[in-house]
Amino acid sequence: MGASRGPRLSGLQKQVLSLYRGFLRAARCKSAADRRQIESIVSAEFRRNSNQVDRKNFLYIEYLLRRGKKQLEQLQSPNTESLSQTKQS
Amino acid sequence: MQPRVACHAEALKIISKLQAFGDSITQADMLRSSFLRRGYNKVAGIFGRAEAKKQDFPVLEGHPAAQESAEVALESRVTVQDNVKKVMKEFRIYRWNPDRPDSKPFLQSYHVDLSECGPMVLDALQKIKAENDSSLSYRRSCREGICGSCAMNIGGTNTVACLKPIDGHTSKPTIIIPLPHMFVIKDLVVDLTNFYQQYKSIEPWLKTNMVPKDGREYRQSPADRKKLDGLYECILCACCTTSCPSYWWNPEEYLGPAALLHAYRWICDSRDELTEERLQALTEDERKLYRCRAIKNCTATCPKGLDPADAIHKMKTKHMLSQPMEMVEIM
Amino acid sequence: MAAARGALLKYLRVNVATVQRNPSPFSLSFNSIRRCFAEEVRGSFLDKSEVTDRVISVVKNFQKVDPSKVTVNAHFQNDLGLDSLDTVEVVMALEEEFGFEIPDNEADKINTINMAVDFIASHPQAK
Repeated sequence: MGASRGPRLSGLQKQVLSLYRGFLRAARCKSAADRRQIESIVSAEFRRNSNQVDRKNFLYIEYLLRRGKKQLEQLQSPNTESLSQTKQS
Repeated sequence: MQPRVACHAEALKIISKLQAFGDSITQADMLRSSFLRRGYNKVAGIFGRAEAKKQDFPVLEGHPAAQESAEVALESRVTVQDNVKKVMKEFRIYRWNPDRPDSKPFLQSYHVDLSECGPMVLDALQKIKAENDSSLSYRRSCREGICGSCAMNIGGTNTVACLKPIDGHTSKPTIIIPLPHMFVIKDLVVDLTNFYQQYKSIEPWLKTNMVPKDGREYRQSPADRKKLDGLYECILCACCTTSCPSYWWNPEEYLGPAALLHAYRWICDSRDELTEERLQALTEDERKLYRCRAIKNCTATCPKGLDPADAIHKMKTKHMLSQPMEMVEIM
Repeated sequence: MAAARGALLKYLRVNVATVQRNPSPFSLSFNSIRRCFAEEVRGSFLDKSEVTDRVISVVKNFQKVDPSKVTVNAHFQNDLGLDSLDTVEVVMALEEEFGFEIPDNEADKINTINMAVDFIASHPQAK
């Protein structure tokens, strides 16, 4: 494999990465403290799902993408200040 | 007659009190027991009123009539329970839970005793959720076909569960799945964001350029008002839109029958002055309106008996007539 | 990529000179617009060695990266041990460093320090 070529990304993977970028960009518009908070929650969530979700479980990945897009829309609103998380038992 | 009515109301009150004791009594049961009570009263009248078993209802102290009604209601309820046969009906319901990512969607069987259940499919769902499986998710609100929340596909047809009577044939199950071709959020709950967005896009409000003559309200003749019949009743349950093959293949571009029915509701409103603009907005491309291929699934499935296909047809006609002949030939 | 763009710019300048000799109203206006745009674009390119230094320092500061492994030819995944999510974070950090937004289809292709440098150095809006 050539040094400049990484693994080829599938369409679904591209969508996931694009969503991740969207969240990181949205976080830039918030205050410094909120931004750190948002980034840590978002990256933990993406990483958790990247480890736990079977890469062939398209149904679920698509569901997560749709849910993520909705959450991103809410986060992008200037009225949204930050993000928080509740632990599920 | 008056005291009897009061007595009946009193009895109903007692029955609802009884529910607090864990005795779930549906409205249907109440009707049934009041019917039996009347029968009982007749019989009791003939035999000089048999002595009912004394029950203690502390809340009714000092209300002898109510006390009596409560006793009778309780007794007839026991009689009904003893005599009614169980009628078990199978419901197979689509289940999918996003919190269990590894499980695929499946149909789960529930057996409901119809003798203990209200007449509509929504009653069965309520009973299942209350008694069998609280994890079952569906939307519901008014339970009388006015909110449009409980739209789902029952036995192969899109309809609202609260207006769909349970099929009494117990030999075959009733299959309940979410609205077809929609993204499922959980079980029977689907994502309607796009549907509502399309409704919003037709700008469903009155648009005029001038102030009303009396400065207070826009008036309309009874004949003009009559034109809105068959349109304003739409409850946006999404049954028609999600039954439309054109919409299945082009949900982003084609507005779908529900949004178009509402568009027509404003186009034919005599008070609205932006009719031309509305029509132009719908026909600026060939997708929003003209993706309708007159399949008429919408009209066939509408739980409110409306005719979206007709509304769409009228808009197409109105648009065609407003075009010069050469333009019509091109289209 | 930068070389290709340079060649294109040269070609465009020649074109304008030709037009001045045979003026035709349409192509004159068209080409002069193109030329103005091209000049402006050319003027704001960053120096490649400066870009390389800044990119390397951004990558070295990324917490999951071992700074000693960062070289001009390093591959994010193969050499630095980053996964695709980390790569997104690195590219986002580069966006901030250079003050412009990298479109998704370009960002997906950036997998090495070299590619990042090339892209940024050829991008007129990088600051």
